[in-house]
Amino acid sequence: MSKSRKRPDGNDKVTGQLAYLTDRTFPEMLYAKVLRSAYPHARIRSICTERAKELPGVKAIITHQDVPGVNGFGIITPDQPVFCDETVRFIGDAVAAVAATSVEVAEEAIKRIDVTYDVLSVLDDPAKSLAKDAPKLRDDGNVLYKKSFTKGDVAEGFKHCTAVVEETYHVPRQMHAYMETEGGVVVPEADGGITVYMGTQHGFKDQFQLSRILDLPKESIRIVSSPMGGSFGGKDELNVQPYAALLALKTNKPVKLHQTRAESVISSIKRHPMAITIKTGADETGKVIAHDVKIVADTGPYATLGPAILDFAVEHSAGPYRFEHVAVDGTSVLTNNAVSGEFRGFGGNQITFALENQMDRLAEQVGMCPLALRKLNLRGEHDLGPLEQRIVPTTGASDVLENVERLKDQLEFKKDLPFVRTGVGIAMAMHGGGLGFGRLDGAGGRLSLSDEGKIDVSFGFEEVGQGIVAVIEELTIAALHCDENDITITIGDTNRVPHSGSTTASRGTSMVWHALERMKQEFKEKLCEQAALITDEPVNDLCLGTGGIYKGEEQVLTYRSLREQVTSEANVVVETSFDFPTTPDEVDGGHYLYTFAGVLAAVEVDLLTGQVNVTHLHQAISAGEVVNELGYKGQIEGGGVMSLGYSIMEDMGMEQGHYLKPNFDTYMLPTISDVPRLSVDAIEKLPDGDVHGPRGVGEIGTVAVAPAITKAIHDALGIWINKIPVDPSTILQAIEKEGATWWNEQPIVSHK
Amino acid sequence: MVERATDCKPQMISMTLNGERVSIQANETDRLTDVLRHGEPSLTGTKLSCGIGRCGACSVLVNGELVNSCLLMAYQVEGASVTTIEGVGKGSLDPIQIAFMEEGGFQCGYCTPGMVMAVKALLLENPEPNDEQIVEGLSGNICRCTGYEGIKRAVRAAIRKQN
Ligand code: FES
Ligand code: FES
Repeated sequence: MSKSRKRPDGNDKVTGQLAYLTDRTFPEMLYAKVLRSAYPHARIRSICTERAKELPGVKAIITHQDVPGVNGFGIITPDQPVFCDETVRFIGDAVAAVAATSVEVAEEAIKRIDVTYDVLSVLDDPAKSLAKDAPKLRDDGNVLYKKSFTKGDVAEGFKHCTAVVEETYHVPRQMHAYMETEGGVVVPEADGGITVYMGTQHGFKDQFQLSRILDLPKESIRIVSSPMGGSFGGKDELNVQPYAALLALKTNKPVKLHQTRAESVISSIKRHPMAITIKTGADETGKVIAHDVKIVADTGPYATLGPAILDFAVEHSAGPYRFEHVAVDGTSVLTNNAVSGEFRGFGGNQITFALENQMDRLAEQVGMCPLALRKLNLRGEHDLGPLEQRIVPTTGASDVLENVERLKDQLEFKKDLPFVRTGVGIAMAMHGGGLGFGRLDGAGGRLSLSDEGKIDVSFGFEEVGQGIVAVIEELTIAALHCDENDITITIGDTNRVPHSGSTTASRGTSMVWHALERMKQEFKEKLCEQAALITDEPVNDLCLGTGGIYKGEEQVLTYRSLREQVTSEANVVVETSFDFPTTPDEVDGGHYLYTFAGVLAAVEVDLLTGQVNVTHLHQAISAGEVVNELGYKGQIEGGGVMSLGYSIMEDMGMEQGHYLKPNFDTYMLPTISDVPRLSVDAIEKLPDGDVHGPRGVGEIGTVAVAPAITKAIHDALGIWINKIPVDPSTILQAIEKEGATWWNEQPIVSHK
Repeated sequence: MVERATDCKPQMISMTLNGERVSIQANETDRLTDVLRHGEPSLTGTKLSCGIGRCGACSVLVNGELVNSCLLMAYQVEGASVTTIEGVGKGSLDPIQIAFMEEGGFQCGYCTPGMVMAVKALLLENPEPNDEQIVEGLSGNICRCTGYEGIKRAVRAAIRKQN
């Protein structure tokens, strides 16, 4: 593979020519706005749209009464109302929507919809929701889901421990902050159906969900879902599609709905805040014997993928380590806060922060090097997976650890400056790809020769920015020996693509590779057979190449003329469908393919302000072969910086169910000035005989960054961090508590 | 002009847009971003993301200076010369654009037009900025995808290319 090929979507992106779905307009288009709740928890007494209707330019106003099908959405359970009828359960709940001749009219109309509420008490913390006398957010109470895992007997295990660390960790509500906010246009079609031009990570799933809401057959709903200006998991669930769709059907006009940033903040899903309490014990050699984990996730009022995310966190509770006794108990709790859902890392980032902190603290207690402690407990190539299921053999865990260790040894430390302390931390992670055992995880693809004589490669994936088009191009060229000018790529349009499953769970690259492996032989053979008939050359002498069919070095037929000489019926189309490989063991949600990250972070901590400045972030990734170098690097570097934000900057704070940070002036994202030196080492090695090809790297670069940074802070100051984003005032208080003074030029605690 | 229901009066605004003299209808309350994207020019390369001057997705050049077009009212550019991403690399790509492609300076591409405009402004003012000046020049432009490393590589490559 050439690996350094430029992305096929590059030209249109750098010139501004790429039409995102929110850039589109259609003749006679109307503009829509959604009225969200005024309270995080209340009973709706009345909704009156009279004053809004009187406004010139208003074309339609809809509420719960206008939903013909199921008034709910949710990838697994449709429990989030499209429009609330009786009760609102968070501040982003929708109550009504308007279509009008302009955005301004729609905005004005929304203000004129009169809704009266009876305010209810707000459950803004899982502890409140779990209290005995708490109001119930659903009939069966405030626990959305529970998941546990046990291995051995932790109580027995702790009896044999000489070092025990117990701590509760808090991780924040991170916002995806994709630069393109949700939206697009829904266009009514002549046959009574609609075309939805809105981003999502699984077009066919949106089609299914919308058909349920609109009471329209799936075939009447076409979803055009690509390209997107970022998603990171945040646009996998439905967002504003139902509103624009209902309004387009009601008015019989194209309806555009593009959320402002403030609207996006209010309505969009976020990363699950979690409180994770862990007790971990080891013997005097550093061997971990018992690991007892309790996870409480604030999932907001609706399910979306909350249960699956908890499953994932529970699965990854012991990460890449093998502990004898493990007990994990996870609870996903309903609250009146933001809806928490899918976000790059999928619960792995939260649990890894806690787990890796535990390993470092244990190492200190046992009095051993944290890397040595990790190695002692690390999984081997053929060990079972974290849920005791069989997994694909891998040396990834030790490979990434060796890589970061080597780098640490080479690092030259800057000497501490006055009032600045420096430190280095290392952390690691193991991350499952695909949806896991027992989850519908079908994939597929199609190869055909288009009427223009191009090899059309078609997948039901979406380009969110991750570079799936580059991956498809690169892998197709490698599989068929053609070049980029021979290929067209068709994705993100339910009318034109096969089912490939979701563009999530780091599965895209893997699925494209598997699909091409399954299709390439048949496709090549069929084209060569046709070429043989046309050219009278023996079929066994023919092969595919740049621009056409070759005999040895000589081109005997172009793809175009091949296509022209074959009837439409006889045109070669090869399709495949299969399932993402899962463990053969019946372990619900258990993964089969895992990737690994080893992270080294270096920090400077300002003793006067408590500010943490990350100066170097290195990631070693084990995920098989690199398909496209720029894409791979971009995923790891970009993921790393996103998690730098998670570690020291980003928290979508809420108080009494209200957001505290309405836009980017208060919700701070990493800018170019926050970015440290970044380096990425790809460890491409896979065990001999591996048949699974390159793994996806969409998530792994985000998972182990936070604990590396907090360990670096510990290295600098000797203080342990149990809550992210790291708050400078916590650091200042800790410095004070340790009895150190910032004017003291001596190191605060001896380190190194 | 962006259609309004309210009583604001449309007016004609003359400017030089990407090198061409144009007269565009706009309301008093239209932001420059609105007019560019949704008005007659239909230049959707300029993006809107935060709408409050914090992300740079809407960056354009006004008389050679980098501005957030979401913070500028359309009438404020009367008589000015406005350059959007559509005005960069017309005919053949600008070295900055080539560098962004070659160095992986983008992923989803939503910040890219604004980012390219910011680099353009930076290099117009200082053809050979050092790393610190690059960081300063781009500190108003947020990218959620790349981690900025590819963008830094691209700017360094663009500097080499223009020489
Ligand atoms: S949209 Fe103008 S600065 Fe963000
Ligand atoms: S490339 Fe997606 S925001 Fe920069």
